[in-house]
Amino acid sequence: MNGHHEFPVIRASHLTKRFGNIPAVDDISFEVRRGETYGLLGPNGAGKTTTMRMVSGLSPLSSGSLTVANIDVVRQGRKVRDILGVVTQQDGLDTDLSPRNNLIVYGYMTGLSRAEAKRRADAVLMYFDLTDRANDEIDNLSGGMKRRLAIARAFMTQPQVIVLDEPTTGLDPQGRNHVWQELETMKQAGVTILMSTHYMEEASALCDRLAIMHNGKILAEGAPDELVNRHAGDEVALLRVPSTAREAVVKRIDGSGLDYREAGAVIMVTSANGERPDLTGLDGVRVSYRPANLEDVFLTVAGRGLADE
Amino acid sequence: MTAAAQSVYIGGIRPRSIAGIWFRHALVLRHTWLTSMSWYFLEPFVALVAVGIGIGRLVDDVDGIAYALFLTPGVIAGSAMFHAIFECAWGAFFRIQKGVFETTLTAPVSTRELALGEISWAVTRAIITAACVGAVAAAIGWIESIYGVGILLAAALIGVQFGAMGLIFAALAPNIHVLSLTFTVVASPLYFFSGAFYPISVLPNWVEPIAWAAPLTPAVHLARGFATGNLEMSHLLSVIYMICLSAVLIPIAATLLRRRLVK
Repeated sequence: MNGHHEFPVIRASHLTKRFGNIPAVDDISFEVRRGETYGLLGPNGAGKTTTMRMVSGLSPLSSGSLTVANIDVVRQGRKVRDILGVVTQQDGLDTDLSPRNNLIVYGYMTGLSRAEAKRRADAVLMYFDLTDRANDEIDNLSGGMKRRLAIARAFMTQPQVIVLDEPTTGLDPQGRNHVWQELETMKQAGVTILMSTHYMEEASALCDRLAIMHNGKILAEGAPDELVNRHAGDEVALLRVPSTAREAVVKRIDGSGLDYREAGAVIMVTSANGERPDLTGLDGVRVSYRPANLEDVFLTVAGRGLADE
Repeated sequence: MTAAAQSVYIGGIRPRSIAGIWFRHALVLRHTWLTSMSWYFLEPFVALVAVGIGIGRLVDDVDGIAYALFLTPGVIAGSAMFHAIFECAWGAFFRIQKGVFETTLTAPVSTRELALGEISWAVTRAIITAACVGAVAAAIGWIESIYGVGILLAAALIGVQFGAMGLIFAALAPNIHVLSLTFTVVASPLYFFSGAFYPISVLPNWVEPIAWAAPLTPAVHLARGFATGNLEMSHLLSVIYMICLSAVLIPIAATLLRRRLVK
């Protein structure tokens, strides 16, 4: 590994993946810097997993270029997997083997000697707090433990770059918290992380920068705070509107050019420049404000994206 | 980056990938060997003894040897086939479904090496069952020739051929119901028409060439040649036929596996 810290570890340029004629990833470009945690945020079907699989050398590109640590993924997909730790969306654990043997077999496949693989497996089990379940049946582990084991497996090779597809999907809050802590520890250790998630909270808790994906495209990119500021402003106005006044209120906001969305009985209004909705003359509307978050950003930019099509 | 140092390639193939998959299976067997022995040894041996003694009472010599001696190489070859096809069709199908193969590919393993690794274990399984059943059959006098050891070679060829075939079914089957056809429509008929239980020559004339072309038939013929020690040119042809068939099946298996796993 070279010492150019500013040099991007992952460089994706005009990355495109089509299944038949349908583009799953549609001409996206992004760079992940060394030591950074970069997130792909978006709903199911946004193209996150396909992007991760391309970066891991597991899915050939339809077009575009992609390098990981200066290795051309298109031509040397397998070599990329020598230096990457990959955690796929499915845990992919081998239920015929104990947790410890899952790690040992994987380590051996990556090229460690059997003795090294055993040593490393024990260290990784300890690090991920799984030592006392080392010889249990996989099916006896909780969802969170299985996920941690899958992440632990990627660490058998001590990778400098790790690709994590939806690290906490399907986990209960406790399991999610535990995984978050592990990821935070990795970050502290200087590991570069590319992760995908559809949890806004997770993205803002873990990612230094993120790309908001929708329908195979990146709609916005930046640090979580910056994205919120740029696209949703500081606060979101929540309007509780009686059904009789609804039409008039919507019409007024629509006319003002502010972004809004209807969520049940509430209309949420965002404004990137701090402008508040003018509701003078409209009766019965109760207004409150809350800080804007990534969900507001996503819904705002995704809404615009759809309108453009 | 300790791993990179170990990525040695021979002709585009990384031997460690194949060794890794073999090691995985060996670990599983080490943990389940006692119950596994019921499959490797008990089930085929019970079938052999029951049919060998029972039918043996009813029929005189077949092709000049006692029926039990005629039957033994056939049952061993059949067991080798079932083990190879079971591992690579049934076992591999579940490893596809559970994402185990996907995990394997996240190590620097190619689909071709994955196929070869699975087949290497199919060969191992075929040899283990042939060795277990064969050793006891020899002990009770049902294999008389010293050349009987050669049955292990026949088993190895069966392992390659049916391992590759099993992977093809695993890669093609959309679900477990379709996959079960591997056994009902393919493996069982092959077994019963392979000449394991009676000489192919008793079949109607028009069926005979079909039976000879079926992949298990030359294997049974070869195993019987070793068991009786009467080896002739036709046995060499059987070997060549099995090698050729494998040479066709392996690349097909690797390609279909790639199509299934790499999208």
